[in-house]
Amino acid sequence: MKTRQIVNNTFKTIACSLILYATAQAADYPAPGDFQKGAKAWANNCGRCHNIRGARELRDDQWISTVYHMRVRAGLTGQESRDILTFLQGSNTPAHAINAIQAEKSVATTTSGKSIYNQTCIACHGADGRGGLPGVPDFLSDNSPMSKSDDILLQNILNGYHTPGNSMAMPPKGGNPNLTQADMEEVLRYIRQVFKK
Amino acid sequence: MQLKQVYINRMMTGILLVLPMNVMADAAYDTLQRQVEILQKQLQDVQQSMESYQKKSDSENDKAELEKKVEQASEWTSPNTLIHMSGYADVGYTDVENDDGSFNVGTFSPIFHFQYRDLVMLESELEFKVEANGETDVALEYLTVDLFLNDYMVLVAGKFLSPVGQFRQNIHPSWINKMPSAVPGFGHDGAAPVSDLGIQLRGGLPIYGMRANYAVYVANGPELIAEWDGTEFELDGIEAEGFGDDSDGDKVIGGRIALLPIPKLEIGISAATGKAAVNKVEDDSNTAPAIGTEQARDYDVLGFDVAWQLNNFDIRGEYVQSKVGDDNSAGVSASEGGKWTSWYTQLAYRFLPGKYEAVLRYADFDSPHASADQEQIAIGLNYLFANNVIGKIAYENNKGVAGNTSDQDHILFQLAYGF
Repeated sequence: MKTRQIVNNTFKTIACSLILYATAQAADYPAPGDFQKGAKAWANNCGRCHNIRGARELRDDQWISTVYHMRVRAGLTGQESRDILTFLQGSNTPAHAINAIQAEKSVATTTSGKSIYNQTCIACHGADGRGGLPGVPDFLSDNSPMSKSDDILLQNILNGYHTPGNSMAMPPKGGNPNLTQADMEEVLRYIRQVFKK
Repeated sequence: MQLKQVYINRMMTGILLVLPMNVMADAAYDTLQRQVEILQKQLQDVQQSMESYQKKSDSENDKAELEKKVEQASEWTSPNTLIHMSGYADVGYTDVENDDGSFNVGTFSPIFHFQYRDLVMLESELEFKVEANGETDVALEYLTVDLFLNDYMVLVAGKFLSPVGQFRQNIHPSWINKMPSAVPGFGHDGAAPVSDLGIQLRGGLPIYGMRANYAVYVANGPELIAEWDGTEFELDGIEAEGFGDDSDGDKVIGGRIALLPIPKLEIGISAATGKAAVNKVEDDSNTAPAIGTEQARDYDVLGFDVAWQLNNFDIRGEYVQSKVGDDNSAGVSASEGGKWTSWYTQLAYRFLPGKYEAVLRYADFDSPHASADQEQIAIGLNYLFANNVIGKIAYENNKGVAGNTSDQDHILFQLAYGF
């Protein structure tokens, strides 16, 4: 009985201390997140309980409440939530809208293929190119998408691509609207160079 | 001749007189013409100004209208208050061994979110069910106000899903649960607590390159049900479904802490402790004596869970034990306590590329009443129309006391939709 009381009191003390320690620090909404970290956090956390939902399934505002709901459910930190939100909101723009925005910019490449891969592609395709999520194609397999021509692959990157039978689609430009044509060519060159059998 | 000369002179005189007048008239005309030209010029200037002004005005109107549209669009996408609805529903067919099969509406569970910036969110889930008699049962599954204190803490107040284990708080929605049925012992009257009413602090933490998440809570706790068998009371079960009244006067405290040593591997332990008292009697014979003042007795829960996503595999398992202590005080209706234990392990494999998923589950539920005990081996095949629209077929081989419903095998079909 005495042990139970000690456990009870200890538990209550810890809980009260945590509440007292916590200070309301509501950041300015919506606080910026990191696209690349968000892609990784999304890939690592959302499939822990349920099938992963693609970014195109909801609008930007719908993702806000959904991600905050999942923050509570999945025990995510605030920063992880903002990162995931940034990734999802950045990845749900339709291809034609992304391309229209990009057409006005016409920026030359300034980033290496490796850097682009690590920022935009690695969350789903994995560091080894074998697929970081179930259903993502293996660049090194016999039926790898790398057997397709550059033109087809660039079109797939530009417009997004849904591998038949796969659980979800790759968003246009891998979800990164800032990629230019030259960037896409650069990252494709990098993938062909690094992930060859 | 003289007369003619006179006329000529007069005419000449007249002309000489008129000419200066004409000259004067021409000057006035010219002046007038210049004035008219000036006026015309001024009029043209005014017209041009008017046109220019009109154009400017149109342009400003267009601009103002455009700005308004942009503002409205911005208002829609990033207001301070967001209202959002999601949820899930399922329909199905269940064929029961030695019994009639029937179609059923499992649940319709809309979830409402009302969010104010990143400070607070109200979450609520309703559960609608069609009962066997055709009536609709409505329940408040949970209703919480979540206050986002900082990046690592969320204060959750209200009626919340029990954070003990994983199944009740995260896996039970039909579009997430890979089987068409709840695990024995993890339903609404089993070993795992369903929900509670109180306050909870939860969040996530990075720990030395790993991740952890936690939940601690204090709540009203459960109530106990006693059954009158005609001669004496017997403890029948624990109702841990978020009561709005703490009948025993002693709060339950509990929580769960989980560690993710590597991504996609989560290991959690849970515990809860407090008091509970008998507050309800089940009596089919209507001969039970009225229960007196029930004493609060010990109530303890222990849980362990693990989940791992490895390539195309989803592996998970969970153990939970709820224990109620004895109470031999005078006037107690069911003095003997009891222990409810359930555990399961589940393996799912997704055939990719493709839309099929195979599931295998083993579960064992033990309670103080042999008639409720059940051992289950279930095998299922799912078809994912989309990641949130799942068709399921499963066969459950159930072993319980012969003649009881817990011993009947099931074939289940279910279409679940998470929205």
